[in-house]
Amino acid sequence: MTDSAPVLDVRGLTVDYGGRPAVEDFALTIARGEIVGLTGDSGSGKSTLALALLGLTRGPGRIKGGSVVLEGTDLLALDEASRRERRGRDIGLIVQNPRGALSPLHRVGQQIGAVYRSHQTVTGAQATAHAVDMLRSLGLNDPERRASAYPHEISGGMAQRVLIAMALGSGPRLLVADEPTSGLDVTIQAQFLDEMWRTVRKDGSSALLMTQDLGIIANYCDRVVVLQNGRRVEDAPTQSFYAAPRDSYSRSILALRKEEVLPDAAPSRLLEIKDLRKIFPLRGSNKHVQAVDDVSFTIGRGETLGLVGESGSGKTTVGRCILRLVEPDAGEITFGDASVTSASPAALRGLRRKLQVVFQDPFDSLDPRWTVTDILAEAIEGKSDKARIAELLRLVGLRPDVASAKPRALSAGSQQRVNIARAIAVEPELIVLDEPTSALTPLARIATIRLLRDIQARLGVSYLFISHDLNTVEHMSHRVAVMYLGQIVELGTREQVFRSPLHPYSKALLAAHLVADPSRRRVDRTDIQTLSGEIPSPIDLPRGCYLASRCPVALASCREQPQPLLPAPDGRLVRCTPAIASLKQAMH
Amino acid sequence: MSEVLDLADAGAVHVATPAPSFLFRLGAALVVLSLVLMVVGPWITPYDPNRPTFEISEPPPALTAIPGLLWRVITGAPHDPIHWFGTDSSGLDVFSRVVAAPRTDVAIAVGANVVSLILGSLLGLLAGFARPWIAGTVMRISDLIQAFPVFITGMILVTFAGRSNMTIVLTLAFLYTPIYVRLTRAEVLSQRTRGFVDAARVLGKPEGFIALRHVLPNALAPSLIQASVTIGFAILMTAGLSFVGAGVRPPTPEWGLMIAASANELIQGEWWSSLFPGLAISLTVFGYAAFGNGLERIYDR
Repeated sequence: MTDSAPVLDVRGLTVDYGGRPAVEDFALTIARGEIVGLTGDSGSGKSTLALALLGLTRGPGRIKGGSVVLEGTDLLALDEASRRERRGRDIGLIVQNPRGALSPLHRVGQQIGAVYRSHQTVTGAQATAHAVDMLRSLGLNDPERRASAYPHEISGGMAQRVLIAMALGSGPRLLVADEPTSGLDVTIQAQFLDEMWRTVRKDGSSALLMTQDLGIIANYCDRVVVLQNGRRVEDAPTQSFYAAPRDSYSRSILALRKEEVLPDAAPSRLLEIKDLRKIFPLRGSNKHVQAVDDVSFTIGRGETLGLVGESGSGKTTVGRCILRLVEPDAGEITFGDASVTSASPAALRGLRRKLQVVFQDPFDSLDPRWTVTDILAEAIEGKSDKARIAELLRLVGLRPDVASAKPRALSAGSQQRVNIARAIAVEPELIVLDEPTSALTPLARIATIRLLRDIQARLGVSYLFISHDLNTVEHMSHRVAVMYLGQIVELGTREQVFRSPLHPYSKALLAAHLVADPSRRRVDRTDIQTLSGEIPSPIDLPRGCYLASRCPVALASCREQPQPLLPAPDGRLVRCTPAIASLKQAMH
Repeated sequence: MSEVLDLADAGAVHVATPAPSFLFRLGAALVVLSLVLMVVGPWITPYDPNRPTFEISEPPPALTAIPGLLWRVITGAPHDPIHWFGTDSSGLDVFSRVVAAPRTDVAIAVGANVVSLILGSLLGLLAGFARPWIAGTVMRISDLIQAFPVFITGMILVTFAGRSNMTIVLTLAFLYTPIYVRLTRAEVLSQRTRGFVDAARVLGKPEGFIALRHVLPNALAPSLIQASVTIGFAILMTAGLSFVGAGVRPPTPEWGLMIAASANELIQGEWWSSLFPGLAISLTVFGYAAFGNGLERIYDR
């Protein structure tokens, strides 16, 4: 921020899609060393803008006017050859899908080196050495070995770091990142953003970070720009933006932060799971994946249990076992007074109507050939009861004219409402919500959470809320269970788990959680507990505690003996003897 | 805080349907024409396709004479009998026979495909849903049928079962069923893991209901697209069988038979009695293929 001339100065940028403007009269300046966050709902024009900034707009999109001045040169006024020259050298791009952006046929080091070589006159050996240096500076251990790996040999998080290495290889003045962490697990997302933040800060370059996640912006950006229908509706410093957002979009999303109160659940038990176990054999070998490993919990009437964990932790399999969409290998599931695990096909059919489900992908869950009326009538099992269908649509906040539409004609948020309507149509006592908001835009996500809470308050239904998104879990759940590699490692009330996690894994997961509040930035905290290394493969699990190899507080005995899930003094269950011991000590 | 967006948006959105390509329109027109001729062909011919006329091996009118002849037909002026495509060595009017032939060719091809589509998609559904050993048996039998050369198997089967239109339909249906079994099974396997199938299961619907109401309708599209292409092949096959003498009995108007009957005259310069039925076969097969191709593109989007 020593130099007053901005790195990037965009004025009056307008991009058209067949006559319809996708970005209209957009203006933005980015100062040296500044990280700017750009947000907006799906379809607001973020990605179109990212491509336009690099002069990569493709048909039918067309740049109608404006200027993109990068360090004094208007990129849009240049011819394609000199634009290509600047791309990668002066301005770097990180895209959404890290694996799709890497060539599967070339070694990672070669690809980083190739970008470097196209802008500098260096030999191949120098370029490779540079690639290794880049990877080392990004915190990859053993960078020589990583550089000679092919993209399929490295993890998704590592592929994303390779992309940063490629984007930063020639030391560009500006880095454009378009949803760089969508699809990554929270701990890897935090790792990645920390590294990007550090690198940009260290080099004094600037960054434009496009994301729908206001948590990311609160944590890493200096300034916030909001796009709505292709127009800039907000441009404010992060602190004042979060204190009082001026545009309706941000206000709608941030409003949820203040709605915290959940009515207490009745204590009477509805569902009980004991020692559930599920193993998937691997085809073509005698190995197997331990998807669910001795999971036990209960859900009370009108209660929501949040089930959180990273991908591959087995949380979805638990939900599918309860619905008997997957046959458990061992364990007992009791619903009310009836056993789900030993139910006959006929009894199961009756049970299932009290046990409903909403899946992650709203479109995939609706038969594309059926109308909304057909879909709901199937659930009611009545001869298309018009009044009941209208009532259901009203309950989930859909207009009555939706009834004759097919799923394809509805937005993802509306599709998910139809799914919810189908689930509540049979008046169930428990609904398994398997990542119901993950495929939705931020606005639709918030609307869906409100709807689900409203339905619970009205109908007294219980939820098993499965999600990797800690924000939504926090807003939905009375109690929370944290899963790691098929096991529950901590199970307590929402306050216990979110305010003072006890298990080292819960601590790391919560530390990676990016809160949409710039006063609680992750980069400012010093007490962060991080896990080292990678998640062990669920095929070859360690002998002792599954976390021992990554755990900062592991004892020698942890590596040898599996940890039992034991009650801590404050009533929650924790699968970590040392953590319980330290809590006991602290309380005495 | 007061002004927030209305979160319950929730109306219907407009979905644009892509404009079909020119080839698809042309294909669709040819398909419709062939189906219309299949129904009305023999009734609208200018001459009886099975009764010889007095002109034997008469060539079609010269291109320069056509406008004049057309004018006379339109105005109703007296004129000699016109054979647009000429007559063959028995004095049969080629044009009438080309127009009457779809009653045989297209009917056999469509009939065979309807039978094999129904049979094949049901067997494919079974193979996608049933226990592994049932599925395995169905698939291995399909392999076995497909392992034989289609044309030779067809010739042998028709010869053994007797040359009637029904046996040709059943033979072709038998030979084409494995195509539909395979296509339907592959689609069933991907459809049966979709969310709406699981959702129906959770609603307590029986497996048979789910298979027939949810999975089958959604798994049919590839087979229906394939059917269009296979009908084209079946027309070619019907004509081919007749050509080698293992198909429709003469003197039924049928394109393959017509080519076979006039193949000898071709050497003596009588090109018209085999060229026009040959063109008819090519255009029809092309039409069905273009139609199927276009359908596939529309479905892909």
